[in-house]
Amino acid sequence: MSNAMRTPAGAISVERYQGAVAEGRLRRLWNANAPGYLFLLPWLVGFFGLTLGPALISLYLSFTDFDMLQSPRWVGMANYVRIATADPKFSAAMDVTLTYVVFSVPFKLTFALLVAMALNRGLRGLTVYRAIFYLPSLLGGSVAIAVLWRQLFASDGLVNAALSQFGIEGPSWISHPNYSIYTLVALSVWQFGSPMIIFLAGLRQIPQDMYEAASLDGASKFRQFYKITLPLLTPVIFFNAVVQTIEAFKAFTPAFIISGGTGGPINSTLFYTLYLYQEAFGNFRMGYASALAWILVVIIAIFTAFSFLTSRYWVHYDD
Amino acid sequence: MTLRVNRRNFVAGGAALLSLSALGTSALAQEKRLRLLWWGSQPRADRTNKVSQLYQTKNPGTSITGEFLGWGDYWPRLATQVAGRNAPDVIQMDYRYIVQYARRGALAPLESYMPAKLNLDDFDKAQIEGGSVDGHLYGVSLGANSAATVLNTTAFKEAGVDLPTQATTWDEFARMGAEITKAGKRKGMFGIADGSGAEPLFENWLRQRGKALYTADGKIGFGVEDASEWYDMWAKFREAGACVPADIQALDKNDIETNTVSLGKSAAGFAHSNQFVAYQAMNKDKLALTNYMRVKPDSKGGHYRKPSMFFSVSAQSKAIDLAVDYVNFFVKNPEAVLLLDVERGIPESAAMREVVATKLDENGKVALAYVSGLGDLAGKLPPPPPAGAGEGELMLRNIAEQVGFGQLSPADGGKQLVTEITQILARG
Repeated sequence: MSNAMRTPAGAISVERYQGAVAEGRLRRLWNANAPGYLFLLPWLVGFFGLTLGPALISLYLSFTDFDMLQSPRWVGMANYVRIATADPKFSAAMDVTLTYVVFSVPFKLTFALLVAMALNRGLRGLTVYRAIFYLPSLLGGSVAIAVLWRQLFASDGLVNAALSQFGIEGPSWISHPNYSIYTLVALSVWQFGSPMIIFLAGLRQIPQDMYEAASLDGASKFRQFYKITLPLLTPVIFFNAVVQTIEAFKAFTPAFIISGGTGGPINSTLFYTLYLYQEAFGNFRMGYASALAWILVVIIAIFTAFSFLTSRYWVHYDD
Repeated sequence: MTLRVNRRNFVAGGAALLSLSALGTSALAQEKRLRLLWWGSQPRADRTNKVSQLYQTKNPGTSITGEFLGWGDYWPRLATQVAGRNAPDVIQMDYRYIVQYARRGALAPLESYMPAKLNLDDFDKAQIEGGSVDGHLYGVSLGANSAATVLNTTAFKEAGVDLPTQATTWDEFARMGAEITKAGKRKGMFGIADGSGAEPLFENWLRQRGKALYTADGKIGFGVEDASEWYDMWAKFREAGACVPADIQALDKNDIETNTVSLGKSAAGFAHSNQFVAYQAMNKDKLALTNYMRVKPDSKGGHYRKPSMFFSVSAQSKAIDLAVDYVNFFVKNPEAVLLLDVERGIPESAAMREVVATKLDENGKVALAYVSGLGDLAGKLPPPPPAGAGEGELMLRNIAEQVGFGQLSPADGGKQLVTEITQILARG
């Protein structure tokens, strides 16, 4: 401001000069990038219209009582207070979901890593195997697979037929509260394809000469894995762990199909998202369900932040 | 989740869109177009679409598009459409939800159209009342229906056990079930389904004892003692092998396909009379329908004729007159009624009952004979369930499973059920 006042008459002010330059740069930037933004437009519309917008509306709704037929009524913190103090189903659903996360993520990642290492050994027809192993992940989220799983683990299903060959009489895995959650864990482990592909890419990045040097020094295969593969793979493990944890928290379809939307028997498959769905669309409590959704957002954020904070103690970046 | 639109529907929808774009969105086009939404299976959709076509040929210039979903997916869809001001004109409505939708202004009151445009003169009076809320008519009943026991007569015969009659009590029925299980004629088949978590069955049992699920003012209609005794009765059945064990019953997702009778896990199970045709289609053995058992030999039956479903008209509809005319056609036109058969229940109109009775096939006759032969077993229609009834139903089943898997004693189960339902109702 003070600069401009000292400018002699007739001369262009610093601001105007800078403004003109900036404007020109903007226009040039725009000219250069307009096609890009044009191509981005569908995504932008989708992001603001279908993701950010609804998310903000749900944040507002979480402070209301909304049955979808009448307009929402402001209730302040009441929904959150009920979740925290007077909702036994919330804790039941949390329990089931945490069990699922704690069991499914490590098993799935271990399994994915083992398969990736097997596939990494220059197998003939590797691409075919990769495709085959990836297939369950593509199908896994679908309703048909959940139905198939139901058939496999029913009391007279294939699993028990196999067990009976060894004289073991298995229970109805999917309909017994002690086992049902683990059949869902098994279903999730079976869908190991996407972390496996990422592990495979990670394994390819490890320089072969390290292994050669190690074997010349007489290091065993196990020692090579422990001292070379694992440390160099930690960034990939970290990435997979974070992504799979978030996925596990959001799991919905298998529980919905296998329990018929009830979360039964006895809430044993009442995933958090399933409970949220029941409240929203079964009991028409959209406001309460929105509050549940935001609690889930916060929980996932805490888990992810925790992973990032601890990562510097165990994730090694080469450079 | 699964939206099923068959090819004919799709073509019809496409045609409607085309004609709409041709006409523009003029008021005239709006008044001649109807959207329908219902839940049910493909056979129901085929029947419904045929009626819509018949209506279009009789009323040139109208176009009717229909969409259908399974029961579980239906209610989320409807609620979303109503909230989005995009409700279909004609809505299939259930007794459980009619109060909720009517009180919130989503449905159009229809009594002003009677009798000129909507002629329900020869309807059962009780069924007209069943579609009324606060003195207004919000739903036209599409058929009568009653809860029923489904029997696999072949399995009964194989085990050498006589079929239950209208006079059979629960104690006798349990003995029959245990005999069938013990006979072991089929691998993995038990006598009867475990009905401890089935709401219609519990309600029937309560009504025989002079109680109810819910009172007219939306309060809980039974006590701890009733609920405990109920769970205890089934615990004894389970112990005696009269009914399937808990992990088999848990396979039942409350639909026809996963009922223990359809799965071949029990010789008897619990259903609704209008589902009989579908049950028989799914089973190679010969099935039969009978009433729920009696609590005591002299106790009154707890049955009632329930409107299987209604047609309601959306309050948001721009073509209410046309919608009312369509609904009237649906329940009063003989040709339409013949197309519909008894798939949605026995017609409420006496004249239409006669029309349909002459053409019924054997399975349809079973359902008709069952509902009209209930006699003193049928009582008054209970008041529409209050908001929260859906949660109450899940709770009955949840606690039944806890008792079934031995995690809870029947006495504690009864206590918990009453506490939970009271809380659910208070929350609304």
